This record gives sequence, C-alpha cells and structure tokens, in this order.
Amino acid sequence: MRDAWFFLKLFKPYSAWLLAGVALSLLTSLAAIILLTLSGWFISASAIAGLVAIDGNALAFNFMLPAAQIRALAITRTLGRYAERLVTHEATFRVLAHIRSWFFQHTIPLLPGRLALIRSGDLLSRMTSDIDALDALYLRLVAPITVAIIGGVVVTAFLATYAPVISITNGVILLVAGLLIPWVFNQLGNEGAERITVLMANYKIRQVDTFQGFTDLVANQAYDRFSAFLSQFSDRMIHTQRQNNQLTAISSALTYLLSQVSLLLALVFAGFLFTENKLTGPEVALVVFCVLATFELVTPLPQAIQMLAKLQKSAQRIRQIVELEPSIKEPQQAVLLPKQFDLHLSDISFRYSQQQDWVLKHINLSILQGTKVAIVGASGSGKTTLLHLLMRYYDPDLGEVKLAQQSLKSYATEQLMTCFGVLSQRSQLFAATIKENLLIAKPSATTVELDAAINAAGLKKFVSSLPDGIDTWVGESGVKVSGGEARRIALARLYLKDAPILILDEPTEGLDADTEREVFNALSDFAQHKTIVMLTHRVVGLALMDNVYTMENGVLSQL
Amino acid sequence: MTTRVHLTESANQIYFDKNKAREKICAVWLKSQAKKVRKSVLLATTVGIVNGGLVIGQSALLALVLQAIIIDKLSVESLIPYFLGLASVFIARGLCVYSYPVFGFEAGARIRVNIRQQLQDKFLELGPSVIKQYQSGALATLTLEQVDALEHYFSRYLPQQMLVGILPIIFILVVMPVNWVVGIIFLVTGPLVIVFMALIGMGAASASRNQFLAMSRMSGYFLDRLQGLSTLKLFGVATAELKNINEMAEGFREKTMAVLHIAFLSSAVLEFFSAVAVALVAVYVGLGLLGQMPFGPAEHITLKEALFVLLLAPEFFMPFRQLAVNYHDRATALGASDAILAVLEQEPVLKNISTHSYCNIDKSLIIFNKVCKNYTQRTVLIDIDLSIQKGEKVALIGESGAGKTTLINLLLGFEQPTSGTVLLKGDIVNQTKSTKMIAWVGQSAAIFHGSVKENIALAEPDASLEQIYEAAKAAGVTEFAGLETQIGERGYGLSGGQLQRVALARAFLKNSEIIILDEPTANLDETNKIKLLEVIEQLFKDKTLIIATHDPLVIDRMDKCIKLAHGEVQR
Repeated sequence: MRDAWFFLKLFKPYSAWLLAGVALSLLTSLAAIILLTLSGWFISASAIAGLVAIDGNALAFNFMLPAAQIRALAITRTLGRYAERLVTHEATFRVLAHIRSWFFQHTIPLLPGRLALIRSGDLLSRMTSDIDALDALYLRLVAPITVAIIGGVVVTAFLATYAPVISITNGVILLVAGLLIPWVFNQLGNEGAERITVLMANYKIRQVDTFQGFTDLVANQAYDRFSAFLSQFSDRMIHTQRQNNQLTAISSALTYLLSQVSLLLALVFAGFLFTENKLTGPEVALVVFCVLATFELVTPLPQAIQMLAKLQKSAQRIRQIVELEPSIKEPQQAVLLPKQFDLHLSDISFRYSQQQDWVLKHINLSILQGTKVAIVGASGSGKTTLLHLLMRYYDPDLGEVKLAQQSLKSYATEQLMTCFGVLSQRSQLFAATIKENLLIAKPSATTVELDAAINAAGLKKFVSSLPDGIDTWVGESGVKVSGGEARRIALARLYLKDAPILILDEPTEGLDADTEREVFNALSDFAQHKTIVMLTHRVVGLALMDNVYTMENGVLSQL
Repeated sequence: MTTRVHLTESANQIYFDKNKAREKICAVWLKSQAKKVRKSVLLATTVGIVNGGLVIGQSALLALVLQAIIIDKLSVESLIPYFLGLASVFIARGLCVYSYPVFGFEAGARIRVNIRQQLQDKFLELGPSVIKQYQSGALATLTLEQVDALEHYFSRYLPQQMLVGILPIIFILVVMPVNWVVGIIFLVTGPLVIVFMALIGMGAASASRNQFLAMSRMSGYFLDRLQGLSTLKLFGVATAELKNINEMAEGFREKTMAVLHIAFLSSAVLEFFSAVAVALVAVYVGLGLLGQMPFGPAEHITLKEALFVLLLAPEFFMPFRQLAVNYHDRATALGASDAILAVLEQEPVLKNISTHSYCNIDKSLIIFNKVCKNYTQRTVLIDIDLSIQKGEKVALIGESGAGKTTLINLLLGFEQPTSGTVLLKGDIVNQTKSTKMIAWVGQSAAIFHGSVKENIALAEPDASLEQIYEAAKAAGVTEFAGLETQIGERGYGLSGGQLQRVALARAFLKNSEIIILDEPTANLDETNKIKLLEVIEQLFKDKTLIIATHDPLVIDRMDKCIKLAHGEVQR
C-alpha cells in the first residue's frame, strides 16, 4: 500500500484530469442505476394507471415526462461511459509518460557505477512494462473504489427515503460484497500468487540455464531430462494457477449470490411494506429494480484488489531503481577544472562490496600530463576497474585519486567528464544518423569540424560510399556497420570532443590487423600532446607508450 | 542530440500488409490448436448456455412475483413457493458463475502444457547451431510469458464466441411468443451491433498495429538510450536526452489513445444500441400498459409480461458486451502466436539420414570425405579430407574463423555438410549417434544450477557415487570442491580453470571413445595450463583425443596436427 501511495504522489500534477475522470465515471454509474430504477417504476405505474383507465376513470398519469427521462438517461449513460473512458485513460497515460521520463532522469546519476550489475534488458522492462502496469493504480483501483463508495452512499440514502429496512440490508450486503469478500479472498489467494511469482522466476532461470548450456546438454544427451524437469515445473505452476483460479471463481460466485440475496430480501420486505401500505405498487418495483442495479458498483472491486499484488510488485521494481544511492556523491562546492591534468593515484585499494575480494590492492601511479601509459593484464586482473576509478565511476575504499593535486571528489562529475575521451571495444552507436552520433561529442560542431573528424578517423571512404552520406541511419534498424567502422565513428567522436586525457580500453580488440594499424596511426597523430591511458591484454601499440605497467590480481607493477 | 522518430505512413502501410497475411496464418494456427481442448471449451460453453436459460427463468419468476404483489395484491406468505424457486435459480446460477471459469481454465491449461512441449521438442530438433543464434532470454520469454499469453484466448474468448452465436437466438425464441414486437426489436438491433462493431473493429486493427509499432519503437529507443547512457553521460548530453525520452513517451501515449479511442467508440456503439433497445422496449410496453399503444401485443399486455421483457432486454446484449471485453484476449493471443509460430515453423536444418553403413574400405575411426560447408553468405569449409585413427591425439589448429568450430559441429552432428560425408566408425554421422560416442567440452563449459555431483553426472545420471567421485578426483575437482558443493548460474563461485576441471570430470565419467576439447587452455596462466594438460593427458590416455587450440604448449603434446586455413586443410 505504501508503494501505491508513493506513486499517487507522482499523479498530483494531473489531479484535474483525474478528478474529472472520477466525476464522469460516477455520473455514468448513477445514470445506469437511475435508468433501471425509473424504468421499473414507470412500467408498474403505467400498469396501475392502465388498470385505472380501464376502470373508466380519467387518465391522470403523465407518461411523457418519465419516458423522456428514460431516453435522456440512456443517452447520458452511453455518452458518459464513452467520455469517462477517454478522460480516465488520457489522465492515466499522461501520468505514465511523465513517470517514464522521471524514471530515466533518476537512472542518469546511477550509471555506470550503481547499475553495472543490472542488465539493460531488465532496466528496460522496468521502464516499459512495469511502468505500464501502474495504469491499474488509477484505472482499476482508485477510480472504481471512489465511485463505489460515493455511489453506494448515494443509493443507500435514496433507498432510505422509501424503505429504511431495505436500505440497511442492501447497504450491509454491498459492504460485504465490495470489501469483505475481495479482502478475504485476496488474503487466501496471496500465498498462491506469491508462489506463482517465485515459480515463474525459477522456471525462467532454469529455462535460461537450459538454453545457455544447450550445446552441452545435447552433447551429453541430457536435454530430454532437463526438458522433462521443466515440464514438471510448468505443471506445478499451472496447478497453483488452477487453485487461484478456483478461488477467484468462488469469490465471484459468492459476490453474485450476495447480490441475489439482497434482491430476494428486498422483494420480501417490499411485499410486506406494500401490504402495510407503506409502499405503493410502483414504489415496490422502483426499490427492487434499484437494488438489482446497485451491484454493478461493486463488480469491478474483486478484480481491483487482485490487481493490488501485481501493482505492488511493479511499483517495488521501479522504486528499487529510483531509490538507489548513486555510487558517488557530488561535492557540496565544486572546484573549477584545472588548466593542467596530472593524475596521481596514491595507495588505492578497492572492492565492489564488503563481501567480495579486493579488486585493486595498494596502487600507486602518477600520470603527468602528456605522458602515455599502457597497462597490460589479463581480463579480470582489475585494469578496467582502475580506469573506472580514474574517471570516478566509483570512489576507492582506501587511498585517493587526484587530478591536478585536488581530490577527484572535489570536482563536479559533469565537469570532470569533459576531461576524458574514451575509446573502448564497446563503442556505443545510437540508433540515429552518423551525423547525430558524432554530434553527441560536440553538439555545436560545424560541418568543417565534422569533416575533419571523419577524415582523421579514416571514415571518409565509408561515408562517401553511403547514398545518404553522413545522414545515413545507423545502429539498430539502420545500416549495418561493421565493428571496424563503429570503432572509427567512436574515434571521430574522440577527435571532436578533444579531451585532454584519452582513455583507451582495448581500443583495437576485435579488429583485423590492417584496421588496427590505421586506428593507431590516427591516434598517434591526434594524441601527440594528450595524456593516454591504454589498457590491453596483448602487446600491441606499445611503441607509442612512455611507460608500460602490468596488472595482475589487482597489483600494479612497472615493466 | 536531435534525434527524430521515424514513423512514416508508408512504412506503416507496408507493415500492415505484411501483418495482415501473417495474422491470418496465426489465426488459423490458433483455431487448429483449439481442437486439442475442444471438450473443455464445449463444457464451458454449455455452462454459459445453462446460465442463459437460468437468466430467463429468473426474469420470469421476478416478473411473476412483482405482478402478484403489485397487481394481484397477494400476501407475501402465499408467494413462498416463488421465493423458493427464485432462491434455487440463484444457487444454480451461482454454480454456473463458479464453473464457467473453472472449465475455461482447463482449456487454457492444457493448451499451454501442449505448446510448451511442442516448443521443447522443437528446440531439440533444431539443434544447438540454430538455438545459439537466439538470445536465451528471448527464448525463455517465449516458453513462459508468450505461451501464457495464449491462455485467455482458449479459456475466455472461444467459449464466449460460441455463446454469442447461441444465446441471443435463444432469447429471441423465448421472447417471440410473449411479445413479438420486442422480439423484432432484438432481431434488428442484435445484427446491427455486430455490423457496427465489425466496421469499427477494422479501424481498430490498423490503429492497434500503429500502437504496436510505436510501442516497439519506444522500447527499442529506450533500450538504445539505456545501454548508451554511460556514453551519453561521458559526453555530458544525458540530461539533454530527457527531452527525447519525453517526446517518445508522449508519442506512445498519443498512439495508445488513438487505439483506445476506437475501442471505446466500439463499446459506445454497443452501449448505444443496448440502451436504445432497452428504452424502446420500456416505452413500448409502458405505453401499452397505459393503453396508449394500439399496435401489436402491447394492447393487452400485463405487468408480468412487460417486466419479463424489460428484464430480458439488457441480458440480450450481455454476450455481445462480454465478447467485446474478451476481444482483447484474441489480439494478445495473436501477438504471442506470431512469436511462437516463428520458432515452430522453422525447418530443421538437420535432415533425417538413414544410418545405413557406408561402404568404405578405410577402417579409420573418423573420416571426412570431400566435406564442404556453405552458409548463405560464405563458404566455411572446402573439400576437407581427413582421417583420424583410434587412439590418436590430434591438435586442430588455425586462426579464429578458419572453420575449426564448424568442423567440430559437423563431427558432433549439430550441423550437416553441404556436400561430402562425415563418417564415424564407418557410419554417416547423426546427432544421436555422435553424442553417444563423443564427449565434448566446449570453450566455456556450461555449468548448471545444482551440486558439483549433478554437474559431473550430466551425461550419466545413473552413475554411482563412487564412479562420480573417481572422476572428480581424477580431474582434480576434489582439490577445490566437494561433490555436494552447490554451484550457481554459469558456475558462479568457480574460477575458469576450476570450471574446466568439472567439465573434464564430466567427459571422463561419460567414458566415450572420442574426446573433443575446444580451447581448453584459453584464459589460463602458464602454471595452471601445464597442470590442466597433465590432467588431460592422464584422463584420456587410451581415448581418441581431438583438441582445438592455438596454444603451442598443447600442440607439442599431441601426436598429430591438423591445420585449417581459410576453410582448407594445410598439412
């Protein structure tokens, strides 16, 4: 419930929309109830008036007015329902669009340090399907419950003016059907619902496990066994769902029965009141039809309460991300960026968590501006972590990283980022044109500057071979770009950004020998006066370097 | 960054046309699957029909009671039989309300079990070389969520579809003798509802594709930006990107609302007709009761008849309304079946080959005879002629991309040669035979959730504890883990070298004639390498051993070396 409340606060800017939705929805529900009530009364009154007329007395019954009212109510109900749906959904989707950008905004400070362990697919599903699931919060939960409460009170008050007994019994039964039964069955079904979530998660893990080890399973003739095991799992899942489905079926049968009990009681009471002359004939029909109609108010409630668990889950998954502390803190008062960029690491130790082993152990390293340093080591030796500390993705547990004799912690991160140009084996290309991909590095770049960058990165031939040239759409759903070309685009970005410190993380990994040579040639021209920190696990491109270090198990030593 | 979102009309049109044909295929497939759960669907439908009959009974009883009280002024006590009748109808309807979803569930459950099984079998039929091309996450979603998404088509939509064909006719047949004018009102408005809903439904289909397109674009865009968020931050444009995210989300909202607009319009039409019909009935019988309707049976209508038809009027439209609600289930199932069919429709690349012995004078254990392998784009192996004798130790070397992996896959029967033959003990290779005769350890051996023991006994689940222990000991697994040690997903908690040992123990326990190891020493340092090689030598000294490798340390220890370059054997 607390999670639901948390998100309701985000709905606030849209409260006018939300209120209008509830109001329309209430109007529509009441119109439907009045329509049936009035029709019942009208028919009975007509019947009695008709009998009187046959008796020969003058016909005093004005049938035009109720007939017109019935027509008006029918139209109100139809139009009202349509308008209500439009408004409530419009309101909801406005809120969801807002929550989506709010979510994205909150992930910005968390990357890359804090979210390194969460896969992008998982993050995406939180940003799409989990946020989508929040639509139930207003549409299925808040709006129907508000309408049911207000509508229930209005109907009970209305019935009380005719027959207090019927009003009270109907009110009590409404409460039981609308609140007690959904609540009880939600409690009963809770365990099963949780079991299903757990079973589903486990099924998925095992299924992924099976696919990832598919070749091994087939080669070891073990696939059939694993597949049979998965089927058993699926059977257990379905069995639990069957039990839950049964509970839901019982709950809707009970709700239905309660509504009929209320109807039957109303009928009996109305009969007695009629014989005691406390109700006229048409009023009997009015009361009975009104009771019949009110149960439409509570029919959406069992489903609403069932939604709560799922809603809770999604809400939690969104909150988990949004409420993460960033791995680094911004300084209270940021120091301005220096004019020179000497880096000093003094006695740095780092581990990702208290439970894990030290990744970096007592590292001392000075990189003066303009020097070129290579760190050689196997994957897993800790060299990438060292880079992350240099760029302050994380803070070291012990020791300090300094830029121009000032702790990294004293610079604003956004400022600090302008000091680094990164070229790595995972050069991220965005689904956009080549030009837009380059402009990320320097939004104000002129055509001349862009051309220069393309030339320097050796992209000229590739770009001019494309029919749309620099405006060619690349990335997903665009032109396929080879690994070498992607790396060159990243290189052109590096050129445009023109940062004083270049971070090269296995810059030529996965490229063929020719491309590798060209990349290094391009780099050596453009990076002449820049600081370079290069990671590699092979002995390539070391000729450019002033100092070469090796990294092994978190310990750095000079070669 | 000024990224535009491409959603042009012509692109959409192409997308629709392609989808229309596809949707038809999916719809036909769904129908064909329905045959498997016919019984449950029919049961649910029967319950629905019984419920409809009870609605008629309930309306009649209610009308009778009101007539008795209001017009005939009978005492409440004398009406007790009617009340009891009503109560029993209520209980019977309660049972229907309960059993309708219960029967429906069985239909959905049985289908899901069946299709999961079809998928699992298909995966095996397609084999590792095809499965590797999929993302495991996507396949897991397919077997779990997508299959679940089919449920409501069978459990709700199908029974409701049948009810729409039956219940309105029953209602009309019942009303006709009571009041034929009302019967005609039903007869006219019922089909009108269907026609208008179908008209609007057509528009809805195209709008919902629009929305689907917008949704996949939005997801793609978000994934792109989330994956590249570090890069965006590095260039200081992450905050600027918020504007685009906002635009995307707003665009999605507009598309979603366009779809809902139509959906709401269609239900508004339904409501409109049902409201008009109810109002017509009410006014007609009301005026008739007043003696103001000199037309049709209303002239001499009684209150009970009037109330009966009035109560029945909204119930007549109930099946249509319910179907409109369940229509969404159909759309969901169609979407899911598209993805499921994409896998089920795939032609297996492995053809069934007769395992008849191949006449050959060469008695070598493994023979490659003029083997070529082409993929659509490129040729991987050209005219490979090889023979390996029993007990030989062979190093298979070559640059990455030279065709080593393909060669091994052919030998394992995971793929088949484009031309030429691969023989194992004189027979043409197939997957069943070769996986029995060969123990294979991949570059990064798969380790499964469970204990070390279970992982070693992967190929021999019936092996005794002693046998497993012996294998573990021989491969040096016992040096770092006990048999009951639990290892997590992808061997979490074990180092690369340790994982290799577990895999070697697995191969040793399998005790096949041929052992194939793919780059066993990659990612290991010198000391560990030598240790591992000694273990390998010890374990497989009387086996035929093939090791794919770059490593000179490994090559030195082998009897024979086969070098692949650009798809050809170089000796």
